[in-house]
Amino acid sequence: MKVPLEKQDFFRVSELFSLKELFDARVHLGHKIGCRHRLMQPYLYGCRLDQDIIDLDQTVEYLQQALNFTAHVAYRGGIILFISRRRQFGHLVESTAIDCGEYAHTRYYQGGLLTNAPVQYGPGVRLPDLIVFLSTLNNVFQQHVAIRDAAKMNIPTVGVVDSNCNPSLITYPVPGNDDTPVAMELYCRLFKMTINRAKDKRRQMELLYSFSAPSTPSS
Amino acid sequence: MAGSRLEKFGTVFNRVRDLMRSGVIQPTEKPLWYDVYQAFPPKRDPLQVKPRNRPSSQKRETVHDIFYQEDEVRAKFYEQYGAGPWPLDLTKSSYVSMCQRFVNKYTDLKRHSELDESALFEETGKALLSEGLVLRRKGASSVSAESKEPMLRLKLTDMLAEKQSVGVDSKETMDQTTQMETPPIDHSNSKTTG
Repeated sequence: MKVPLEKQDFFRVSELFSLKELFDARVHLGHKIGCRHRLMQPYLYGCRLDQDIIDLDQTVEYLQQALNFTAHVAYRGGIILFISRRRQFGHLVESTAIDCGEYAHTRYYQGGLLTNAPVQYGPGVRLPDLIVFLSTLNNVFQQHVAIRDAAKMNIPTVGVVDSNCNPSLITYPVPGNDDTPVAMELYCRLFKMTINRAKDKRRQMELLYSFSAPSTPSS
Repeated sequence: MAGSRLEKFGTVFNRVRDLMRSGVIQPTEKPLWYDVYQAFPPKRDPLQVKPRNRPSSQKRETVHDIFYQEDEVRAKFYEQYGAGPWPLDLTKSSYVSMCQRFVNKYTDLKRHSELDESALFEETGKALLSEGLVLRRKGASSVSAESKEPMLRLKLTDMLAEKQSVGVDSKETMDQTTQMETPPIDHSNSKTTG
């Protein structure tokens, strides 16, 4: 169990994307100056004719960290929840979750979903071990309630933060564009590939252990 | 399972770590992500930052404007020629627009020759013309526009002349018949203005 944690990039997630791919997917485009969030300033490269440009060098590092974390959590059999309140990409996010074998929530977020789960869903509910936000804002351009709720319930979060989002509460923020369909498809594809890779690795390891030693490894 | 719901103080990891240290969370109940977070911590602790709404806290580094040296050339190009003759096709990453070709030519000429800025501008225009690209100036009419406008003008002047002659004829007939009626054209004009 500790072997994957010792290596820096056990699942080789840095091979899944390159800076050029991010640029072609227009991940570096932010919103206008007026929409800029104060806390996003360190992640911005500059401002071209009033439009914020996100620093892709930083994005590459943050994205690599985020994908690595999701891969490790998926390797350990964690439940991953995809959240995106953008109606334009609701179907895309849901199909991504189905392909990974994980969960998605793209509808109206009821207040007690995470904080009042035993009452809403029945006792003994297992909460997600990781929440991935493909867009941290809800339809009224405010921060999604689930970010605060995840922090309350001690659930780490990975989120794509655009230049009008607040990245402070998100455990592994990924500064990038969350409005363009190309960028969203790229993120969905990357997360799908990392989770599938991690799960395949897990199955391989289990098979190896079951063949080499009759006792199952402690999880 | 025990947990601490204070998202405003400390990070997720800090709270779980302290709960485990104090014994509230048993080692068997350790969350899945705890070891992963310990091995690969994020660059910045996810502490909640309080929103500072006071205008006095202005000590922040501003975001730099992105301007290139070729932007001066681009500005002059757009000023003189307007947007390119055909729209930009951004679907291909290797697409070179009219403006970009102009800028490339300009930089090439600047490197090789030592001309003045305005002279360089003319030179690039000529060079592009020689390659077969026609640049239409903004405001100045090109060949096809000129051919259309005189036609329009002729028609308008003809129509006006006809109308005036008709008006004069009718006026003469009116005067001949009744001297009290005012010319209809002036009457309508005064009605519209009034």
